[in-house]
Amino acid sequence: MKVINYLPLITKNSFRNRRRSLLTIISIAASLCLLGLLLTIYQTFFYSEVTADQALRLITRNRISLANPLPLSYQQRIKQVPGIREVMITQWFGGVYKDARDPANFFARFAVEAEKLFTVNPEIKLPESEQQAFINDRTGCIVGRKTAARHNLKTGDRVILTGDIFPVKMELIVRGIYEGTTDNESLFFHYKYLNESLSAGAGFKDIVATYSIRMDRAEDANTIAKSIDDMFRNSPSQTKTETEQAFQLSFLAFLGNVKLILLTICAAVTFTILLVSGNTMAMAVRERAREVGVLKTLGFTNGIVLWLMVGEAIVISLLGGVIGLLFAGGLCLLLRGLPSAFTFADFSRISVPPSVTIICLLVAGMIGLVSSFIPALSASRRSIVEALKFTD
Amino acid sequence: MTEAVIKTRQLTKEFIRDEFHVVALKDVNLTINQGEFVALMGPSGSGKSTLLHLIAAMDRPTSGDILVLNQSLRDLGEREMAHWRNRHIGFIFQSFNLIPVMSALENVELPLKLTNLKKKERIEHAMTALNLVGLGDRVNHLPRQLSGGQEQRVAIARAIVTDPDLILADEPTGNLDAASAQEALTLLEKLNRDYGKTVVMVTHDPHAASFASRVCHLGKGVLLEQEPSLAQ
Ligand SMILES: Nc1ncnc2c1ncn2[C@@H]1O[C@H](COP(=O)(O)OP(=O)(O)OP(=O)(O)O)[C@@H](O)[C@H]1O
Ligand SMILES: [Mg+2]
Repeated sequence: MKVINYLPLITKNSFRNRRRSLLTIISIAASLCLLGLLLTIYQTFFYSEVTADQALRLITRNRISLANPLPLSYQQRIKQVPGIREVMITQWFGGVYKDARDPANFFARFAVEAEKLFTVNPEIKLPESEQQAFINDRTGCIVGRKTAARHNLKTGDRVILTGDIFPVKMELIVRGIYEGTTDNESLFFHYKYLNESLSAGAGFKDIVATYSIRMDRAEDANTIAKSIDDMFRNSPSQTKTETEQAFQLSFLAFLGNVKLILLTICAAVTFTILLVSGNTMAMAVRERAREVGVLKTLGFTNGIVLWLMVGEAIVISLLGGVIGLLFAGGLCLLLRGLPSAFTFADFSRISVPPSVTIICLLVAGMIGLVSSFIPALSASRRSIVEALKFTD
Repeated sequence: MTEAVIKTRQLTKEFIRDEFHVVALKDVNLTINQGEFVALMGPSGSGKSTLLHLIAAMDRPTSGDILVLNQSLRDLGEREMAHWRNRHIGFIFQSFNLIPVMSALENVELPLKLTNLKKKERIEHAMTALNLVGLGDRVNHLPRQLSGGQEQRVAIARAIVTDPDLILADEPTGNLDAASAQEALTLLEKLNRDYGKTVVMVTHDPHAASFASRVCHLGKGVLLEQEPSLAQ
């Protein structure tokens, strides 16, 4: 069977009922745009590439949850584990900058040990002088270039963060603008300053949510993580140590089962388009019942007639898929502008990856195939005499 | 003796559904020779279309034998029957049945898509057929841009483009005005006389039947009488 012979027939027939074809294409395009976007976000969350520095970092936190802190005394004990270069207190501060209602004001703020920051996060790049100015100023902070640009912050500027988790107000002075990280959006200030500002009775003093660990070799990640967690197995606060990437994912999980939600929406979207297009494809096939009889009279076999009709459905749904993906690509450009504290992942370079393109086109093709196959099969098998009785 | 192209023996077709049982054809014995132009007449529901469908290998008999071009149609499978129709049968419908989204040329080319001909050859053949029916200047028109008579001539071109042995027409003039009917009938006559095609035409119209060399009458599924062949 020479498929190429029938191709013009297929494409021509696909647009026979222009209005319906157009509606079908639009609904498939809309759904596949959503599907493509969700899969792209999913990919960005769960399969983003790990940088060499990220691979060298571990995060230790309380086994129970992020909301349960760890004692400061753990830092020295963790440092003893072989293969560890540095252990740094890292405290997510949160808080409010200016006005909480403006999403542009969401950016991550961490209280860290300034003198260790450039060992644990060597990708943070800023001039030696700014680095020293930050380390030497107890109330100093450094800000990512992107956030600095957004808020027009320069060295010497004051940044006031009002705590929401912590009952304090941090008055900080910008000592440097850094780049070199994946997002360049966070603000780092001194844990020392935070801890001193907290009054002893408030319950937040001398505790920490996470330790950031810099290893010598990325291959040791599993052994080191296990050694740390084993060390505190019998302590009142057990630990959970994982790679930075795994930690970021569990931080997402902390917000709800994002993975499951995303995949459920994807499945629901796919299923819905199947139902909708299944109905329109069945209509399209029914309309052609008489023509099937004519084609068969001319000598077309049941098989060719079947694949002609299925081919038409696939052409329509693939077209919808391509359009949907183009829109998804456009929406990705819009997502790039979102601050990362708002998206919990680095969206600055988000684009529809080839794998998602392939998956979406396969889904589109499959929708055409599945939705048309049953009606097309029964139409193609109907006897010629029966088929010719249909009036159009 | 001329060669028999269609030969039926005790040909019977019944339509059976849960609640009804129709005998559309009963023990039909009919022989049609090469080069004949036969008109099939009879009241509505007498089984004319059914007989034509059986000859065209579009349907299977309930019992009896049917031999067309010395091939027993009962022995053919679904795909073989489809190929058979494509190679040997040109079928013309009362309601033209052109594909609405395709131009006249594309409609006529359609049966050739199943052959091994190259695109260029297919177009040449289709053009020849369209010229023969006098529509060489309408090749790019869509069916809805043509008159009924022109549509039927395109349908005739589609039926002859594969150079079939048999041309079967089911009330080809039923939807046409007198002038267009005359054109269509003249064409069929020409195909029969000048190209030697065997033609079987179902019709209600005595004027149409007068173009035939022989008229067969059906009544309630039974072949009534055979007027002697006038031609030859
Ligand atoms: N697919 C079918 N299912 C059931 N009965 C059928 C079917 N096709 C034809 N019949 C019956 O068979 C009989 C003969 O039908 P056929 O179409 O051959 O008649 P006809 O002579 O062509 O009539 P007309 O002049 O109206 O076209 C009729 O009684 C019809 O109802
Ligand atoms: Mg009839």
